[in-house]
This record gives sequence, structure tokens and C-alpha cells, in this order.
Amino acid sequence: MDQNRQGARASYVVLAVFVAAWILLPSAVRRFSREAFVEFQAPALHLVGKSRDLATFWEKKSRSTEELLAAGRDLARINAALELKLKGMEDMRRENTRLREVTRYNVPAEYLAVVARVASRDSSSWWQRIVIRKGRNDGIRPGAPVVFADTVVGRVTAVHLTTSEVDLVTSPGFRCTAYLEGDEQNRIVLINGVAADSLGSAKARVSVIPYDYLLPAGSPARITTTGMGGVFPSGLTLGYLDGGAYATQVGNFKESLLVPSRDLYNLQEVSVLVPIIQTPGEALMQGDQFQ
Amino acid sequence: MTMGWAWLILLLATYPWLLGADLASDTLASSSLVVFVSGACLIAPARRLKRWQCVLFAAGLGFLFEARRPIPDGALALPLVAVAIFLSSDRPLLRNTPRMLQGAAIVNTGACLTWYLAAALASDAPADGLAGHLLLQLLLAGLAGTLGLVPLALTQNAVMDRLGVPPAPELP
Repeated sequence: MDQNRQGARASYVVLAVFVAAWILLPSAVRRFSREAFVEFQAPALHLVGKSRDLATFWEKKSRSTEELLAAGRDLARINAALELKLKGMEDMRRENTRLREVTRYNVPAEYLAVVARVASRDSSSWWQRIVIRKGRNDGIRPGAPVVFADTVVGRVTAVHLTTSEVDLVTSPGFRCTAYLEGDEQNRIVLINGVAADSLGSAKARVSVIPYDYLLPAGSPARITTTGMGGVFPSGLTLGYLDGGAYATQVGNFKESLLVPSRDLYNLQEVSVLVPIIQTPGEALMQGDQFQ
Repeated sequence: MTMGWAWLILLLATYPWLLGADLASDTLASSSLVVFVSGACLIAPARRLKRWQCVLFAAGLGFLFEARRPIPDGALALPLVAVAIFLSSDRPLLRNTPRMLQGAAIVNTGACLTWYLAAALASDAPADGLAGHLLLQLLLAGLAGTLGLVPLALTQNAVMDRLGVPPAPELP
């Protein structure tokens, strides 16, 4: 019995020494151990994601021929309409390039879109993130914006070999600048994720709303990215203002909440916009990946 | 040979349960709750494995949970190692099934509180009005630990039997 107690005491001493060493160890060692455990779990995440895809495939395969024909016909109509729109866009693109050349305006960063399937979603008060099935091997880099159509989903915070972690717009670590619909002066507001404190869907905080800003009547105000800071392209939808705006304690500005425009926990696929040329923000993030 | 690696084989055998908990968390994602069972996974091995094996098993459990979450490195793994030392040194504490269920609830809730506080410290977001949500998270952890212990312990005991780990003494 005494031997057992002595052994236990010795174990606690060894643990205390290890804790001290763990704190003093270079962060590279801790990062290596974290990376090793992430890579250990990656195949299982891929398997889960692929099983889901397989289930969806068989569910779709069980649809009747009539249903598929109807879906094909609808798609053909949508395609025709989009082709017309595309032609109009091409004219606008040429005009845009011409005006940029005339005014010597800096060309915004170009992005390469990498489509990725969502492997899993994980959410608590302190993080709201998804894991996608594309990683360093596919050219994903930390800090890259993640979108679905024209809606911002979040930002890549950690990249592993075959998976990446994406902080959602509502996650406490997320920050960006935005414009409010209906503000003709295009004044900048700040978007911050907040810690989720209820069982309802998570929201982000919109702060520094000008005191004289009035919500547009009839529909909720759309919030779009500014394109400043070089992370997100401008004009992407972040979400909508939730109800009214409330005066802050100081009283110079108002605050409100942002409701994401899509259900972020039901996304099956997203696009990662990887800047073709490394942005300054991205360079700062290297070696300081948010964990 | 097999006994030395028993902790690792047991960790691999326990991993499907951890993955299952992650999938359950995925389903609950819109409510910002995490189904946490890492603490409960420690109970059955603490009765049978040697102390050093139990320590390595606990560290593995903790690091697996921390790996994909913004929790400071070691914030869960090291407290779980301390619990593993404590439980494997005082085995009569887990002498029968009711005691094991109590242990699972306490260890799982305590471990959940540990990672929640560690994540709160690591995050720069204010923690206003989170008491209710924390309470819900702890309740869920206690419940998951208690309900999950029996199937977990059955799997782990079956693996330990196959590995030839000596059975735990049943004390009154």
C-alpha cells in the first residue's frame, strides 16, 4: 500500500516537472504534437464525409426518371438565363477594365476558387467552425476567405495536409469591416463574432454603426464586405442586420446583431478563395495560425 | 509485448466512440453544445491498466480532443493525466458499477469545465451572460458521461480481456 502511495507521489512530481517543461518548451514542439493528433484523425473525418456523400448519392439515385427529367428541364432554363446574364457581364467587365486603366486604379487581388466538401461542424460558446476536406495539398492557405455563392461563410484559420479548419462568421475569433445597405455615405462598420450564449443560432455583433443611420424600410439591411484589408473581396454578403440598432453606452455609435444569410451549419460544400498573390494579411498570419 | 502497447491499442479501440461523440456534436452544432465523453473514457481503463499506461492513455484522450479545437495545448490533456494518476492509485474508488457511474459523471463534468474555462481564457471575446450556457454544457457532459459509460466500459473491457490485461478486483 505504501509502495502504491509512493508511486502515486512520484507520478505527481513527474507530472509537475512535465507541466513546467511543457510550458517552457518551444511552441514548435507543441504545434508538432497538435499537428500529429490532427493528422491521426484526418482519415476518419474523410471517411465520415465520404459516407455522407455516398448516402446522398444513393438517395438521389433512388429518384424517379420523371423527377430527373423535370430537374434537367429546369436547369436548362436557368442555364439559358445565366448565359444571357454572362454576356451582359462580359461587356461590363471590359468597361470596368477600361475605366481602371483610365483612372490608374489598383487592381484588387485575384482569387483561385477551390471547392471543398464540409467534413464536420463543431460549435461551442468559444468556437464555431467547420472542417473541410481540402488542405495544404490542395493549395489552401491560412487566412483565405471561405464563401458559398456570394455569401461569406468564414475564414480559414488552420490548414493541415488534407483538411482545413474554417472559423465561421459568428465565431468569436472572426473580425472584418463592412458596409450597411442604405448608408449612402458608405461608412464602415465592424463585424465581430461573439460567444454563443443561447441554444439558438449564433450571431455576430455589428458595431460602430453611425448614430444617424436609418434602417431601410421594408426589408432587413444587407451587410456587405468592404474589400479593405485584403482578406475578403468587396461586395460579398455577410448577412443581415437583426431588427433594430441599439445605442452603445458611450452614445456616439449604435450596435446591432448580424444574422448570417445562410444556415451555416447545413452547408455541404463551400469555396475557398485562395489569393493568387500572397496578401500582406496572409503574410502576417504565417507562423501564427489561430489554433 | 502486447501489455506494453495495451494503452495504445485501447486508445485506438476507444477512438470510434470519440468520433461518434464528434458526430453527435456535429448534429448539435446549431445549439453550440459539444457532446463530450473523453472523461468517461478514462474510467474503465483506470481500474485495470498500470499507472503509466493509464497516464499515456489519458494524455492521448486529451490531445485528441484538443487537436481540432482552439484550446491551449495541454489544457485538457494534463488535467486528465492528473486524474488518471489519482484514479489508478486509488482503485477502490471505482470498486463497483455505481461508483464507476459516479466517477464517470464527476470526471467528465470536471474535464468539460476545464476545457470550457481554458477556451474562455484563450478567447478574447467577453464572457457576458454565459453562465446558463455553461450550466447546460456541464449538464450535457454529466449526462453523456453517465449514459455513455456502460457501452464504453463494455468495449474497453472486451479489448483489455483480449489483450490479457488482469481484471479489476470486484470489492464490496
